[in-house]
Amino acid sequence: MIYTVGRLKRTAGALASGTAADLNQNEPSSEPTPTEQTVQSGISLSGVSKSYPVNGEMIPVLKNINLDIQQGEFISLVGPSGCGKTTTLRIIADLISPSSGTVLIGGQTPRQARLQRRYGMVFQSAVLYDWRTVIKNVMLPLEIMKLPRQEQLQRAEAMLDMVGLKDYATHYPGQLSGGMQQRVGIARALALKPDILLMDEPFSALDEFTREKLHEDLLQIWQKTHKTIVFVTHNIAEAVYLSDRVCVMSPHPGRISNIIEIGLPRPRNPQAKTSATFSAYVNLVRSSFEGV
Amino acid sequence: MKKQLKSQYQAKPGIKSLKQSKWPVTLVWVAGLILIWELAAIEVAQTKRTPQNILPHLYQILAAAFSGKKVTNNLTATQVVLINAASTLLRAGEGFIMGVAFGYLLALLMSLSKIAEKIAFPYLMLIQMIPILGMAPIVLSITGDINRSRIVIAAILTFYPIAANCLAGFKAVEPQKHELMYSYGANKFQLYTKTMIPATWPYFFTGLKISAPLAITASILVDTLQGGGGLGSMLSQSLKHAMSIYVFWLIIFFIAFIGMFSFYLMGVLEAVLCPYRKWEKGGNEA
Repeated sequence: MIYTVGRLKRTAGALASGTAADLNQNEPSSEPTPTEQTVQSGISLSGVSKSYPVNGEMIPVLKNINLDIQQGEFISLVGPSGCGKTTTLRIIADLISPSSGTVLIGGQTPRQARLQRRYGMVFQSAVLYDWRTVIKNVMLPLEIMKLPRQEQLQRAEAMLDMVGLKDYATHYPGQLSGGMQQRVGIARALALKPDILLMDEPFSALDEFTREKLHEDLLQIWQKTHKTIVFVTHNIAEAVYLSDRVCVMSPHPGRISNIIEIGLPRPRNPQAKTSATFSAYVNLVRSSFEGV
Repeated sequence: MKKQLKSQYQAKPGIKSLKQSKWPVTLVWVAGLILIWELAAIEVAQTKRTPQNILPHLYQILAAAFSGKKVTNNLTATQVVLINAASTLLRAGEGFIMGVAFGYLLALLMSLSKIAEKIAFPYLMLIQMIPILGMAPIVLSITGDINRSRIVIAAILTFYPIAANCLAGFKAVEPQKHELMYSYGANKFQLYTKTMIPATWPYFFTGLKISAPLAITASILVDTLQGGGGLGSMLSQSLKHAMSIYVFWLIIFFIAFIGMFSFYLMGVLEAVLCPYRKWEKGGNEA
């Protein structure tokens, strides 16, 4: 089961009854897995492994990851520390290269995708530039792209508008709260107009209230822009609430234990978090971890 | 200094501003200093034969500053100080600018190349460990000119704090900023102009605040080695009683003031050039 996931899909029918027992039935999907030809800005990882040398010995941190992420999908990688979820994201982002296996982003290598600015990256901390105002922070990637000044400004203003920070354009990051800073980080990632948004525990440093607000903002942005979002988190409820699918990863070595399709209706609203179905999904995700 | 500026921006009217203000603290501090000085001066006046050589009263120094009495070549004590200060500060300033430029370029080079850092850094440490008084004759014999060697010594003392601080600044850039630039497909030039160099400014100003008073001190110290004007040579002449001892005391106060002023000036420069520094990390909740 461990290495053949990606085909574990659940029908909406099983969800209607909403019990964990129903959800736990592993029904093999009858649908074929998507191929590269049908995926435009989808991401496909096949047989991806990564090991690091420690004291002359190769320690595997990722073992045989097979995952197909579809265009416009919101997928979460969830798991405890050491499960390789961030490593997986960094491989997709071309920040590190896999020891073996192939990664294709809409048919391109991660390097090609990076150089064509096909993805935007959001980190746990906002990674803002203290010396730049909010709008200049959002303009930074556009300056690197050497876009005309006017377009830089227009795009940055539009992105700030999208994250609700239009009035803060001329503030410095130090004047903003943590949640606002993270929203600037998201606006900056979106400014590139990427097909894909890669988010590495973007809300884990925020307080619960701010985080919930940002969940709503992110879902709205996703609905407006139809980006493919790969979202790394260790927060199970967050993963279930936001995602189309939750990819559960286990450590030592990092591997995919289960991929769970979340059948909660869209658009999601905060009330869904109190439903029995929601709890059932959370429990299913929790019970999918191995060796923790 | 930075704190002072910060409180200035956050000052609120009323009793609160008085509480937050640094002025009462400064006032107490200065009053305490005057008190200790005067107590010591009274003690010295009672026990020593020439108290002005050891610790004169503050009013005596003040009187010397405003007295019209000529101490040398038809110049009053204050005129001696100011004329010599001009040449000393000019040399300190030239050395300071040279040192800053060289220090920053060296830090940049060390940041660009690990090998350059490995080669250059031990020399940096070494130069720092040689006392100025030991270094001065060497520099003098190399440059062959006392004025030039004064500038060079001021530069040598300046460049180390700048180089070391700015190198620390280059290294302190978070790895995520590097990754972000990498993900944008930025080239090395863009990485440095957009990320690395602006990130060093706070470190640069810390270096400036350390090295500005150092450059002045160094310039004065080298003055004492040889004649030809400058605060340092007046200092030693006064100590050798070639002119009034009050010239010595005036120079001491002048140097202290200029040293603090140079530090303050760097702080003002930082506040003007880096307005974002008002909002230090975690310093504000908007």
